Amino acid sequence: MSAEPSEPKSRYLQYLEIVTGSLEEKKRWRQYKARVKGLPESHRIAVEALERYLVHFGPADGAGAMEMYEDLADLFEQSAADATPIRDIFGEDPVAFVEAFMANYPLGQYRARERNRFVSAVERAAAEQDRTK
Amino acid sequence: MGKQLTEMLKGTLEGVVLAILSGRPAYGYEITASLRERGFSDIAEGTVYALLVRIEQRGLVDVEKVPSGKGPPRKVYSLNAQGRECLEEFWRTWDFLAGRLGRLHQGGEQT
Repeated sequence: MSAEPSEPKSRYLQYLEIVTGSLEEKKRWRQYKARVKGLPESHRIAVEALERYLVHFGPADGAGAMEMYEDLADLFEQSAADATPIRDIFGEDPVAFVEAFMANYPLGQYRARERNRFVSAVERAAAEQDRTK
Repeated sequence: MGKQLTEMLKGTLEGVVLAILSGRPAYGYEITASLRERGFSDIAEGTVYALLVRIEQRGLVDVEKVPSGKGPPRKVYSLNAQGRECLEEFWRTWDFLAGRLGRLHQGGEQT
């Protein structure tokens, strides 16, 4: 069904993806959602809470983001199978956990752009100071 | 002690996990259990998992998927050459830091 990754996309598919976004990513997202649905209730609630946080503060786009959600599904499927209590997964500080988890993946385009903008603005400020010394 | 310990552990947990894996390959749950046995009792399973994702991405471990009786296949992590190198560097850094802090604690450098 899906084309080999090395095979060039058809022109039709290229145009279509300009309009719809990556179809491959949409497929991966649907697969991830299906995995979440299959989890026990408590684990599903926890994953959906993480998902909400990650959509707001995480990479939000690109292949790195899909990898992140898939790793999340791995973790919760595994801990459901091991019957790990939710409290043991998150520890005392759920924010520390989600931040450490999120830091493993590349920044999304929006955040990467803002970070670069910030670094070059600081550089300009320092250069301005050099100039007026 | 709690909060400070958590903060200090954050910086050393990677080295601790590499050290545990240098003994023998293990999967996530075994690593957390091993941490508990060694007195690192407050570490969340998820935090360990996030760290395993990171050391895998950085190529410090080899990962093998092993089928398990219940649930999805388990990822078994084993330390590779690059991981061993990283662990040696961790211990060197640790000795350096522990030495400096020890001297500071005893006030040795003031005299």
